[in-house]
Amino acid sequence: MNVRNMIRLPQRSQAKHRIIFVVLFLTAVESTQPTKQARCENPSCSQHLHRGLKLIKFMNVTTAQLLKTYKASNGDSMDLICDMQMVNVPVSTISGQSISERISSVYTRLKEFLPHLKTVMEQQKDFEPPTNPVAEGLKHLIAYVDLISPIVNCLLQILQPNMPIPEPAERPTGMPPAQNTFQQKAYGCIVLSRLQEFLSKAFHELKSLRGKDNIM
Amino acid sequence: MEASFHVLVLLMYLHCAAGFNNCLKILPDSIDKIYVEVGTDFTATCCLQDDSHHTSDDIEWKLDNISLPKHLYHKINATAVSVTFTVSQDMRGFLTCFTSQKSLSYVNPCMYGIFLEKGYLPSKPKNLSCLALQEGSNFSPNLRCFWNPGNRDTLLNTTYTLHASLDYGFEQSTPTSFQHVCTERLARNCTVNLSTFPVHIGLRVWVTVSDALGSVNSDELLRESFAFAKPNPPDVQVLADVIYSTVMVEWKHHISNIELRYVIRYCQAGSSVWTEVSEESTEISSESFRLQALQPYTLYDVQMRCIVKNHQSYWSDWSRNATNRTAEAKPASKPDLWRIIQSTSDSRNVTLLWKAPVKANGIILRYDLKITMKKDSKFKEVITSVDHDPHRLYQTYSMELSAKTMASIEIIAASSAGVSPKATLVIPLSNQDPSGVERLSWSLRDGQLWVEWMPPVANLLRLSEYLLEWEKVSLDDHQRDKHWQRVKANVNSTTLTGHFEPFKRYNISVYPVYTLQKYTQAGRPVTTAAYTQQGPPLEGPTANITKSKKTSAEVKWTEIPLHRQQGFITNYTIFYKTGNVEKSVTVNSDNRSCVLTNLTSESEYGVHVMASTVAGSRNGTDFNFKTQKYADGEVEVIVVLVCLSFLFITVFIIMLFLRKRETIKQLLWPQVPDPSVSSIAHWSPDFPVKANIPKEDVSVVEVDVFDGKSLCEEDKAVLPLKKDKYMSEEHSSGIGGSSCMSSPRHSVSDSDEGDSGQTTTSTVQYSSVVASGYKGQTPNHQPPVFARSESTQPLLDCEEHPEHLHDSRNSYFRRAKGVELGGLVQEGEESNESSLTFCPMEEMSPIVEDPPTPCYMPQQNSYRPQ
Repeated sequence: MNVRNMIRLPQRSQAKHRIIFVVLFLTAVESTQPTKQARCENPSCSQHLHRGLKLIKFMNVTTAQLLKTYKASNGDSMDLICDMQMVNVPVSTISGQSISERISSVYTRLKEFLPHLKTVMEQQKDFEPPTNPVAEGLKHLIAYVDLISPIVNCLLQILQPNMPIPEPAERPTGMPPAQNTFQQKAYGCIVLSRLQEFLSKAFHELKSLRGKDNIM
Repeated sequence: MEASFHVLVLLMYLHCAAGFNNCLKILPDSIDKIYVEVGTDFTATCCLQDDSHHTSDDIEWKLDNISLPKHLYHKINATAVSVTFTVSQDMRGFLTCFTSQKSLSYVNPCMYGIFLEKGYLPSKPKNLSCLALQEGSNFSPNLRCFWNPGNRDTLLNTTYTLHASLDYGFEQSTPTSFQHVCTERLARNCTVNLSTFPVHIGLRVWVTVSDALGSVNSDELLRESFAFAKPNPPDVQVLADVIYSTVMVEWKHHISNIELRYVIRYCQAGSSVWTEVSEESTEISSESFRLQALQPYTLYDVQMRCIVKNHQSYWSDWSRNATNRTAEAKPASKPDLWRIIQSTSDSRNVTLLWKAPVKANGIILRYDLKITMKKDSKFKEVITSVDHDPHRLYQTYSMELSAKTMASIEIIAASSAGVSPKATLVIPLSNQDPSGVERLSWSLRDGQLWVEWMPPVANLLRLSEYLLEWEKVSLDDHQRDKHWQRVKANVNSTTLTGHFEPFKRYNISVYPVYTLQKYTQAGRPVTTAAYTQQGPPLEGPTANITKSKKTSAEVKWTEIPLHRQQGFITNYTIFYKTGNVEKSVTVNSDNRSCVLTNLTSESEYGVHVMASTVAGSRNGTDFNFKTQKYADGEVEVIVVLVCLSFLFITVFIIMLFLRKRETIKQLLWPQVPDPSVSSIAHWSPDFPVKANIPKEDVSVVEVDVFDGKSLCEEDKAVLPLKKDKYMSEEHSSGIGGSSCMSSPRHSVSDSDEGDSGQTTTSTVQYSSVVASGYKGQTPNHQPPVFARSESTQPLLDCEEHPEHLHDSRNSYFRRAKGVELGGLVQEGEESNESSLTFCPMEEMSPIVEDPPTPCYMPQQNSYRPQ
């Protein structure tokens, strides 16, 4: 009996440890998966997400075409120039640990790109006649950014109703100073390149919000 | 409504109570127009000011200077009177209120007015729809919307505001909206600029119509933005494929980043029957499609249109035709072989005709012809090639074929892709064609020729089809184009498919076509003539008169050439006119002549012949003729009668002459006494009278020979009488002078002293010895009496010819005064004074002296003085 008890004691403590371990593991797992709560599963959210995904995809392809047009209209060396580093241009990365933070980063980044796009458009209008394809494309792209921003904002509010949404300054401090023509062309190309990269990443971020029932 | 009215009245009262500087005031009042809706009641109040000397009883309302009825007034108090009236459409809107005292007063009248602008509330626009066309590679930001504004004019200035706002599906603090105002009355469309056409976003559109009376919104149109988009059709091209029944369709679409679905449709060039390839068959990302199961060597028109994926947008228009031809294949059907046989006396001229295969599937290059002729168990084969002439409706090949030769023809068409199936035809021996169809007829249906027939009498051959042949009748037989079409054997009526000219005559023939083993053979044709449209003849008949008689005439005319008839001649009408009287005769179209009767003889007639069809008539040229004076045979009868009469008279005269020849002879050639036969020639005192001389009573006749004229007249007058007188046979002999032998001596008759002057030189006095015997009678035995004769006639040698004595012996005559009178009597002048009477022969005295009573003896012979 004692032996049995002696034996049972360590067995009980092992079982207790196992339970604790499982609880801790589940807690850890639960704590590392905040997105489950942020999933866009209600109909309203799904609808907005669906529309946002289509729009970002559309913007991505449009930006790619516009970049191609931009490079074609600004010379053969644009490929090299576009790969240059320029500190004042928003990066294409999406920051944040949680999905909400990353969506928030998407929203912020979109807002950051907007003044740069406008600047590039103004520069392109100076280079070419105002109705040149690049300027027209940039105009449409700006309008699309204006379209997608409220959708991302709405999604963000649905996902994290209580989280404040940071609004970037109307004129980011990182706007480049006066540039020469070469710098302007390089600047425009870099902005479009980074925007395309960003939109591609943003599409995947939004896509990660999609529930199982939502098939695009 | 009533409460608001009272509130309004109260406000007006208060307003009035507040006072104005003028003596009158109308409420409501405005420096601008006061807009009122037609058909609604409008109330205005006229207020007397404090300093007014009038009362409310003095207030009068006028609308467009016409006093409003008193029952529309409503006295509010002693200083205010309102009026309520219904705004009508014909109201000009000048409303006045004035006061005047009816009794004599020094108070100045007051007046105040307002101007009412009538109108309607705008109608609600209906059937709102919007459209954004593709511009470049994007959809245009200009959203053009259409609606139905209704038919009622508001009568006021109206604005149509087109609103468009982005709809995210959630509330936005600052919604993005656009609008544009169109001020056209009863505007039906307006365009709003969206700056950039929104994609994948909701778009809410509505129209607001406003005028001075109010505004009204249309129903909102909320759709996905692409629902308003209308893409342009793609640029399509068709590429010919090496596979004969396919073509490759390629297209490009210049639109950015929008997934489209496409529909392809195609048809044979010129056709309007399209075949569609559904949008599911074309992949979204694809830009080409191969059309299959097409006809070889056929032109195809291809069109495409597109729509945004999931039918989110409008369909684009159809693209323009992209046309190309499929590749060639070998002919799939046989040539359409036919023949024309023109028989002569001992041979036949056979012309083979054939059309290219219906399913040529390419360009026919040539035809290979094989003709096998059989005559008396001997075969002859002709193989030839005929190049295809694409400019001709059909190809031909001519050959001579005797009546006793049968021929079988085989023909194939060859193209670069292969040869066609074989077409065959048998030409039998002459006059051995199988039976033809029966009861062929035609009619017009919808302007086309509809031909009907009955099947031929059954025979041993199998009827495979019918062939309908037609040709236009033209002036030149060589220019006749043959056309034919085939119908199945179980069909007994069909429409001729071809170009038929109006007013042209077509000969339509129907042939039954039989199958004999692998060959076909045509039966006897049955032919009829037809018109698709008839008209009046192009020319009238050319007529003339062939037999013109006293009261009738025969008119003959020639048939109008077939190509000038323009229809079936239904009848001919012959118009004939003399003076102002015109008559006509109508005869059937079969006639080519007509006898006009009851004409007036010896009259000029104008004639023309009119030919008629169901569609009209045409007159021939006029010509004239004249009827004859005599009828046929009338002249002949007259001539015969005249001739007969002449003949009769002639015969009569001849007979008369024959019967009276002696008399006439005596008249024409009076016998001259022949002295030679006179007995005086033998008389001499020295010579006794010859015993052989018959004793006759000889009387001496004194003959006076007058001039021819006197005698002739006398003869004529007394001829009848002389005849009898001369009939008496008397011997006469002239004795001139003392002797008959002596030369004649002129002497003057004692008894005719009146004529002595005339006869002195011309009269020969003869002495006649008249025997007492007469006519062979033995004269009495009396001595001959010598009578003296006076005659200028030389004595003939009658003495030397006593044979003439007999003739002269029997004629004697005397001319006495009574004879001359007798001639006068004949003329009926003095018949009573000296009438002549016949004396009986017995009473005649042998010696003629001046008898107391002149008389004549009937004579048989007489003579005239020569």
